[in-house]
Amino acid sequence: MGAAHAIAVVAPRHAVGPAIGGAETLLRALALRLAAAGRKVRLLTTCATDHVSWENVRTPGVVRDGPLEVEHFPVAPRDAARFHEIQREISRGARLPRELEEQWLANGVRSPALCEHLRAGGYDRVLAGPYLFGLTVEVARAVPDRLLLVPCLHDEPFAYTAPIREMFATVRGCLFNSGPEQELAERLYALERRRGRVVGMGIEPFETDPSAFAARRGLEAPFLLYSGRREAGKGTPLLIEYVRTFRERVGRDVRLVLTGSGPVDPAPFVLDLGVVEEQVKREAMAAATVFAHPSCLESLGIVVLESFMARTPALVNAGSEVLRWQCARSGGGLWFRHYPDFEACLERLLADEPLRRRLGAHGRRYVEMEYSWTAVERRLWEALEAL
Amino acid sequence: MSPPPFEINADGVDTAALVAEIQAAVDARMAAGEYADARIARAERMNLLHGARGGAAVAAYIRCLRDAVEVDISDFEIRERRARLAPVLVRIKRLIWNLLKFYTYRLWSQQNQVNGMLAAGLEGLEEQTSVRLRRLEERVAEMERRLGGGGEGPRPGGG
Repeated sequence: MGAAHAIAVVAPRHAVGPAIGGAETLLRALALRLAAAGRKVRLLTTCATDHVSWENVRTPGVVRDGPLEVEHFPVAPRDAARFHEIQREISRGARLPRELEEQWLANGVRSPALCEHLRAGGYDRVLAGPYLFGLTVEVARAVPDRLLLVPCLHDEPFAYTAPIREMFATVRGCLFNSGPEQELAERLYALERRRGRVVGMGIEPFETDPSAFAARRGLEAPFLLYSGRREAGKGTPLLIEYVRTFRERVGRDVRLVLTGSGPVDPAPFVLDLGVVEEQVKREAMAAATVFAHPSCLESLGIVVLESFMARTPALVNAGSEVLRWQCARSGGGLWFRHYPDFEACLERLLADEPLRRRLGAHGRRYVEMEYSWTAVERRLWEALEAL
Repeated sequence: MSPPPFEINADGVDTAALVAEIQAAVDARMAAGEYADARIARAERMNLLHGARGGAAVAAYIRCLRDAVEVDISDFEIRERRARLAPVLVRIKRLIWNLLKFYTYRLWSQQNQVNGMLAAGLEGLEEQTSVRLRRLEERVAEMERRLGGGGEGPRPGGG
């Protein structure tokens, strides 16, 4: 079992319910696996449930989540307006003085009580992420020699700030979601290869009836599906515009089905289901002609892997090295640089059902081999031993 | 990129080869002007802000924009959906169009001039920036080579 006898996993929120972010889902899943394997592990998180207000809703203290102990700590008071003001500047690519970068983190989501508990808690290893949260930086400053950072790193302006660079330089090691994510950290922070391991997250196998979803929704036309947060950074407005343009130029009745949280501009060809149960999402994935992922900012692409599990091919933005990597490695999807590529790829996929079936079958086999919990646990145990 | 631990079998699809084949066909059609379409420019503006950071999307966008800058000021067929009043309404609309022509033509001509100048300006800026970036990248690569590799990556947005 190596040095990691007692492990703390730190996440901004306890990922229960369908509207939680990918990083929090990943951290909870890893904590649950560690607990189920008999490790002494506790998930430390805030009392917040909403990722906009970060209001303390849950009661501080310990609750159970299956085999896992979860302890909630209050979020410290913060000046959200100041935080957003500086965040906007950073995301514009502005180079800010150190003082402002520190103010950005200080007014982000933090929990001094959680850090105090970590200092006194006697944990051998601490897993925390994602990288751009004030909480994560605070944890890294409190216990750098014990921290295995789960960064969920993207190539975005926040990754270039001085406090983030320092965090990567001082932590014990990093658990990455994919090869391109590790390579990005090596490129940005000159991180030595031996200080990182690619672990990822397991995808539960499932079987669903591909015809159930379309029949229930009365969908006769082929459709693309996107599941996840709907926002400009994730590329959803781009996808809606691409599908609109495809329909106008090619003249085919292709629909777009969306699931997940966040606002969507209404359009007659868009079916917005909002946040749905896991089973409904899986049925939609199995029924979709293509799973489209227009985001450039991914460290793993959980929903692409889930769509592979549903035997549905993916069409992803080539701007995301991670998504392109997943599609190329699996043989389960294609990628586009711009609209003309999107149009050509989609026309090919719509016209060639045997190709779609082969891509889908390969995607499924890839996820079963690379992202089964057995494979992920093997990588996680090895990382805990080595780092 | 890391080497693939997952081998694609003979029955599988080499997606990299397939995408390369599709992209080559797209690039050829693009060079022939097939995608110079205002609708693509409209869709592609999102890709500029939040999507691909490479030059391909910007170049494709500017090509589409070049095609879209000219407002169509020629006469068009005036129709009316309300069948009963159609002949009268069409005559009234034609009259209004003819009366306002002198004004709208002047307006659209000026708009076309502005659009054309903006598109040319953007094109020039894009070319200048590409050249400047290429030179900077060459200098960084040379400096890294002299220092023995590694070092900090560039800030996003060229900053």
